[in-house]
Amino acid sequence: MKRFCGTGPIVEAADRCGLGGELSRRGFLVFSAGALASMAALGAARVWGAGAPLVILENPQGLLFADPARCVGCQRCELACTEFNDAVAAPSLSRIKISRNLNFGPAGPSGAPLLGAYGNGLVVQGLCRQCPHPVPCATACPQDAIVEDKATGARVVDEARCVGCRLCQRACPYAMMVFDEGKGKASKCFLCQGRPRCVEACPAQALRYAPWRDLTRESPALAAVSVIPPEKAGACAECHVPARNTPVKERPRSGS
Amino acid sequence: MTQSPGGFAGRVLRVDLSSGKVSREDTAEKYGDVLGGTGIGYRVLFDEVPAGTGPFDPANKLVFATGALAGTGVPCNGRTAVTAVFPTVWPAPLAGSGHMGGQFAAKLKYAGYDALILEGRADKPVWLFIRDGRVELRDASRLWGGGIRRATLEISQEMGPDCVVAAIGQAGERLAPLAIVANSVSHSAGGVGGVMGSKNLKAVGVQGSGSLRIAGPRDEWERLIKHHLSLLGANNQHVVPAFPSPESEYYNPGSRWVGEPGRRWGAADPPVEITGSILDLNRIAYRSNSAAFFLGEQAWRHTVRGNGCTACPIRCHTVVKMPSVAAKYGIKEVGQNTCVGLVFGRAFFRNMPGGNKGLGSLEACMVGMHLADDYGLWCNYGQLQRDFVKLYSDGTLKARLPAKEYASYDWDKYDAGDPAFLFDLIPRLSERQGELGQVMSQGTAGLFRHWGLKEEDWKRDHSTLYWKMGHPKHHANEDDGQCGVLINTQYNRDAQCHSHTNFVRNGLPIEEQKRLAGGIWGSPDSVDAVGDYRPMNVHKARRARWSLVRKELHDSLGLCNWMGPWVASPLKEQGYRGDDSLESKLFSLATGRATSREELDLMGERIFTLHRALTIRDMGTLAMREKHDLTPDWLYEDKHGQQPFTQGTIRMDRADIATALDMFYGVMGWDKASGAPTRETYARLGLDGAASALERLNLLPGDGNEPGK
Ligand code: SF4
Ligand code: SF4
Ligand code: SF4
Repeated sequence: MKRFCGTGPIVEAADRCGLGGELSRRGFLVFSAGALASMAALGAARVWGAGAPLVILENPQGLLFADPARCVGCQRCELACTEFNDAVAAPSLSRIKISRNLNFGPAGPSGAPLLGAYGNGLVVQGLCRQCPHPVPCATACPQDAIVEDKATGARVVDEARCVGCRLCQRACPYAMMVFDEGKGKASKCFLCQGRPRCVEACPAQALRYAPWRDLTRESPALAAVSVIPPEKAGACAECHVPARNTPVKERPRSGS
Repeated sequence: MTQSPGGFAGRVLRVDLSSGKVSREDTAEKYGDVLGGTGIGYRVLFDEVPAGTGPFDPANKLVFATGALAGTGVPCNGRTAVTAVFPTVWPAPLAGSGHMGGQFAAKLKYAGYDALILEGRADKPVWLFIRDGRVELRDASRLWGGGIRRATLEISQEMGPDCVVAAIGQAGERLAPLAIVANSVSHSAGGVGGVMGSKNLKAVGVQGSGSLRIAGPRDEWERLIKHHLSLLGANNQHVVPAFPSPESEYYNPGSRWVGEPGRRWGAADPPVEITGSILDLNRIAYRSNSAAFFLGEQAWRHTVRGNGCTACPIRCHTVVKMPSVAAKYGIKEVGQNTCVGLVFGRAFFRNMPGGNKGLGSLEACMVGMHLADDYGLWCNYGQLQRDFVKLYSDGTLKARLPAKEYASYDWDKYDAGDPAFLFDLIPRLSERQGELGQVMSQGTAGLFRHWGLKEEDWKRDHSTLYWKMGHPKHHANEDDGQCGVLINTQYNRDAQCHSHTNFVRNGLPIEEQKRLAGGIWGSPDSVDAVGDYRPMNVHKARRARWSLVRKELHDSLGLCNWMGPWVASPLKEQGYRGDDSLESKLFSLATGRATSREELDLMGERIFTLHRALTIRDMGTLAMREKHDLTPDWLYEDKHGQQPFTQGTIRMDRADIATALDMFYGVMGWDKASGAPTRETYARLGLDGAASALERLNLLPGDGNEPGK
C-alpha cells in the first residue's frame, strides 16, 4: 500500500489500473468519466472480489434519446418493449414511459403548466439515463443486482439476484425502475442488447439510440430517496475522502 | 390480477347501478361465441333487455366492450364499442352502437376486463371507479352539471395521471339523444351519452396495471406486427399518396396520405419537417394529417402533432394550435379531433368569410371542438348541422320557435359566419334550453316527432344526406355504388362501415383494384370505379357481405374499421396486395387459439346476424325488406337528370337495387321476400338460441310466417 487516502479494494484497483498516482496527488478521488471507464474496462471494479460491494459501473456505450416534439403519444414503444421482450402487452412494465405523461405531462393533473393531451399537446417520453457513477439504482441495491450489460454497458437487473425489495425504485431520480408484481422482481431499460425495440417501433422517429452522454446533470430529477447500504457507503468513502482528509467518522453531517 | 388467457383480459365486469352490486363473468365461458365488442353488446341486449325497452329506461343496458386485440401492440387496436338501445332511431328506438377510440379500451383490459356492462339506475349522480380488482361507485355530485374536461381532470387527480376517464357532459346529463361519452380529449361514442346520463352515471374512470399475455411465440408475434405495419397506408387505408413521389408508382389527390416531404408540423416547437422516405415504417405517423385534409392547407401551419388511439401509428386526430382563438374567444389555443369532429363548428354555418378552408373556418372548427367535446354534444355524423342549415334557410326555425326565443339568437352573427355564434348555440343545444335545444338535441327524429316535419322531405333532399331511420348515409353510393347502398340499409343508425370504402377509395387505379378484387372476392366485377357504376352482380353482394362481416369483426376484436381491413397495401413489389387473413393471424397468435380466416369470419357473420335477429325482435316484424332495409328517394335522382349506369353519376336505379337486395339476401342465407335470416342460417351460425326465441314470437321466416307480419 502506498501513501493513499485509504486502503482497500478501490485503492488496490486504482493502483492496478495505473491510477494510484491520481489518488495520491489529489488526496481524494475525482475520477474523470474517462478514467472511470478505463478502470472499469480493465476490470478494476471486479477485482474487489465476490464479496465486495459493487459501486463503479463503466459508462454505457449507447443511450436512448427522445424528441418530445415528434412524439405522437401512440405508446407503440411501450408495447414493443414488453411484447417483444416479455411476451406481454403491459405499459405498466415498460421500461420506456409514455402513459404517465400522455394526458397531463410530468407534473400530473394537479400540476401546472399542463403538458400532454389535456395541456399543450406535448408528450415527454420517460427514459432511463443509464446513469454514470454513482448509479443511483445500482448503488441502492443491497443485492448488487443491478449490473452492467456486457454488450451495451446498460445497467440491467440480474433477476436471479433481485429479491424484490424495491429500493432501486425509490432511488431512481427519474422514476424509471419498473416492478413486476407478478414476479416480484424489478426491471429496467437494458437497451435490448443494442437493438432497442422502442426505437424500431416508433412511427414518428421520435426515439434514437446514440452514443452515451451524461444526462443526469441537466434533466430535472425527482427528489429520490437515497438508500445506500452501509458497505457501499464505506466503499464510497474510500474514494471520496471528505475535504481536508477529515476522517469519515468525524465528517460533519450535512443538514437535511 | 389473474393471468390473461392470451389476448383477452378474461373477465367481464358487470355493475348494477341500482343496487351497487358488482359482479364478474368469465369472458370465454359466457361470451366465447361472440368474441367481444358489439358481439357482447348485441348478446346482452338480446338475452337481457326485452323488446320495447326505451333508451332511458333503467332496464336498458349499456355495454362498453372491447376485444382480444385491444391493448396489444397490434396497429389500430384502440376501439371500444358502446352498445345499448339507441335513442336517435326513428320512429322507435332500436339497438345501436357508438364506437370510441382513445385509450379506454386498452386501459379497461389492463385493469382485467374485456367489457363493462352497466345496468339499472343510480339514485344520485355517481362515477364508477375501476382500479384493477377494486371497483366502486363514487359520488359525482360535484361533477354533475360540469363539462367532460373538468370531470376528467378531477377524476384523474383521484386516480392518477395515466387513468382513462370516459365521461359525459351536460348533454348526456340532460338525456339528449345527441350526446356522446368521450375519453382522452376527443375520442367519443355518439348516441350513448344520454343513456349513461339516464343511469345517473357521470363517468367511468379506469386504472389498470395488468398485462395481456401474447400466447404465441414472441419472435413470430414480432414478425407479424411488422408485416401488419408494412401493409399500412394512411388514414382510411389509402395506400397511395396524394402527391407525386418518386417512391410511388401512383398518386391520387383524394388520398388522405397528405404528408408530403417538405410539409411541416408548423406549430411544433421547433417545427417538425417531413423529410425522408414516405414509405419508412418509422415515419407512418407523418402520412396522415386530418386537419390538413379536412380543414385545408393552412392547417399545416397550426399542426402540433398527430394523436390517436393506443398503438395506432396512423394518428387520425390532429392536435391543432391557434393562439388567435385564445385571444379572441378566451378558449384553449390547443384542440384536437378528426373528421366530422374537426368540422363540428364550421358545419353549422352556411357560409364562412374566406370559404370553407379559410382562417375563419379554422377558428370556427377550434371553437366547435372546444365546446362540443366538453358539453358532450353529438353531431349524428354531421346531420345535426345539415338539419340546422336546412331549417334556418327554409325559414322553419323562424316559423317554429317562439318569437322571443328566435330573437334571442344573434342571427346577424350567424349570417356573417362569426364563430362567436357557437358560444350561444352549442351550450343551448347541449343543455336543451328552449324549444330549439329540446328538439334539435334529439336528432332528426326529434324534428319528425315534435315539429311534425315529414321524413319524406328529408328522403328527397340531396343536401341533407339523410338516409333512413333518423340517420344519414355513411359511405354509400357516392363511394361504392350498390355495395355502399346495401351496407347503408343494414343498421339502425348510420352504417359506420369502412371495409368497402377503404378499398374503393384506396387511391389505386381501377385496373389494379379489379385485379386485387378478383383475388379477394372471386371476380374483378365485384368492384366498379367510383362514379362509373355497372348493374348489380352477385360478386358485389359478396363484397358487401364481406364488408359487413369484417366491420363487426373489427368492432368485436377492438380493431379500427376506419383503417382495416388491410387487403390492399402500398407494396408495389407485392402487386399492392394486402393480407385478407391478417385478423385471423393476429387473433391466433395473441390468443394461442389457431383460428382460420374462415372461422373468424364466421364469428363476424354470427355477430352481424345477431344484430339482425335483435332488430327483427325489437321491431316485432319479419318485414325487414319493407320496413328496415330502406333507401332514400334522392338516391334515384340525379340533379342533372343523368341516367343510372352512365359515367359521372352516383344515381342508382330502383329495380337494380331491388336485385341487389335479392342477391345480398341470397348470399347471406336470408329469406328474399322478408330479408330475415332463415332457421338454417341461424343454425349454420350457431344461433339456434336466437332462432328459438324468434320462433316463439313467430318471427322466423317460413312456417307460414309471412313477411309483413
Ligand atoms: S434506472 Fe434510474 S437510476 Fe438507474 S440508471 Fe436508469 S435513470 Fe439512472
Ligand atoms: S428490487 Fe431493486 S434494489 Fe431490490 S434487489 Fe431487486 S434490483 Fe435490487
Ligand atoms: S413510439 Fe414514438 S411516437 Fe409513439 S409514444 Fe413512443 S416515442 Fe412517442
